[in-house]
Amino acid sequence: MLEIEGLTRRFGAKIAVDKVSLAVPAGQMLGVIGRSGAGKSTLLRMVNRLTDPSEGRIRFDGTDVTALRGTGLRDWRMRCAMIFQQFNLVQRLDVLTNVLVGRLNRRPLVTSLLRMFTAEERAMALAALDRFDLAETALQRADTLSGGQQQRVAIARALLQEPRIILADEPIASLDPRNSRIVMDALRGVNREGITVLVNLHDLTTARDYCDRIVALNAGRIVFDGPPAALTAARIREVYGVTEEEFAEEAAAAVGAPPPRHAVPA
Amino acid sequence: MTPRANVALWRDRMPAAFSPGPATRALRAAGLALFLAWLAGALWWFDFSPQRLWNGLSGLGTIVVLMVPPSPGELWVEILQGIAESVAMAFLGTFLAAIVAIPLGFLGARNIVTATLWRFSLRRVLDGFRGVDQLIWALAYVRAVGLGPLAGVLAIFTADIAVLAKLYAEAIENAEKKQAEGVVAAGGGRLSAIRFGILPQVAPVMLAQALYFFESNTRSATILGVVGAGGIGLQIAERIRVRHWDEVAFIIILMVATVAAIDWISGRIRRRLIGERG
Repeated sequence: MLEIEGLTRRFGAKIAVDKVSLAVPAGQMLGVIGRSGAGKSTLLRMVNRLTDPSEGRIRFDGTDVTALRGTGLRDWRMRCAMIFQQFNLVQRLDVLTNVLVGRLNRRPLVTSLLRMFTAEERAMALAALDRFDLAETALQRADTLSGGQQQRVAIARALLQEPRIILADEPIASLDPRNSRIVMDALRGVNREGITVLVNLHDLTTARDYCDRIVALNAGRIVFDGPPAALTAARIREVYGVTEEEFAEEAAAAVGAPPPRHAVPA
Repeated sequence: MTPRANVALWRDRMPAAFSPGPATRALRAAGLALFLAWLAGALWWFDFSPQRLWNGLSGLGTIVVLMVPPSPGELWVEILQGIAESVAMAFLGTFLAAIVAIPLGFLGARNIVTATLWRFSLRRVLDGFRGVDQLIWALAYVRAVGLGPLAGVLAIFTADIAVLAKLYAEAIENAEKKQAEGVVAAGGGRLSAIRFGILPQVAPVMLAQALYFFESNTRSATILGVVGAGGIGLQIAERIRVRHWDEVAFIIILMVATVAAIDWISGRIRRRLIGERG
């Protein structure tokens, strides 16, 4: 159970996330939607502590995540894996090593810096890659792969962390529709195995198709929190003041993604 | 959760993911052995022994003790003049070299000069100049134009033209063609394309490199002084000869401060003229 209480983040005078409170039960797939600048990324990054909150608390199974430092913080980051819009793989390293990065926190520093991973970990990495049909690419450099393949490598890396939560920040905004589907299916698949998934999405249709619950942010505040079925076109107009098509186009443009797959008639 | 993977199965399917093949391993071992043998051979040849290093270290220790406290001696003005001379030599030499290197760089760039023979010859000539160290040039110029800073400036100038021209040529070759194409498409001639399409792209690189060379030449100008080509070096050499280590230490501290100041100023200039992207 992930509990967020009154979480706030200010950048100078600007409030990116404004007193957000949220409880995410274990195993849920939660979609976070919102326009550009609504605070989605900041919210997710605060959970992983890549960004520190200005106020408020994050608790996971009773542990105060916001108070963690040093080893405790690194252990927490291992348990809540992060997936990025631009994949954030190390381009010049081979795919296998990129995936094995997910094990670094479990290894003694010296052996990990020497790239000495155990046979079992290597097999684990290959199995994770194989799950996304990428085992054959294990020894290629990461920059030889397409965007969709790189995002799947990033998910394999996340899986090797053996996380309790996966945080995905716009995982499909840089991908074409076919790869988007593969990546979302992969996220849904690992979610079904019991990993909580928090995913930022710019595309409402994807959010409705894949998530158990949707949270909508506007100007850093939660303006909707409920099941996908409750997020109707009328509701969108109510909370954002624009039609669903306008919302979709604007959100897609903000992340540099292709226009929405199919606009819902008003 | 990821199930524990079957190691044997995967090792069988992708052995290379677990350890490099026997050929690679043999090659690596041979390479390592060769390297160690070469290292040991070189150490033996130059008579490296812990004994000698230890003695040298205690010798250095004595010098350091003699350096404390640093003192300017009685020739304050002379020292400051020497340092100013070194900086001026470095500046003049680098500045002139950079000016001459710009056209040479363009002439040596593959995307500017398409005549291979001409470009090839120019580059080989530059290679020849680069093969001769600054110090050798300094010795030659001291014989040619006499003792003093003029020889030093000429030495820096000659040695750096070739290096800067090569670096500039490489920067120009990495410049984007599209921007020059835009100028040509608007009716510009070849020279306009270079002036407006290429130069703005490479000017920040050229400036940054010239500034680095200025800083580095301030340091190497010290050595030029030792062979009589002007600057502070001669004064350091003389004081070492008469073992006035406290004064040597004082000059060294002044030099370090000067180089740090130049580095700081050139950093500001770079940021100012190039912007954060440079």
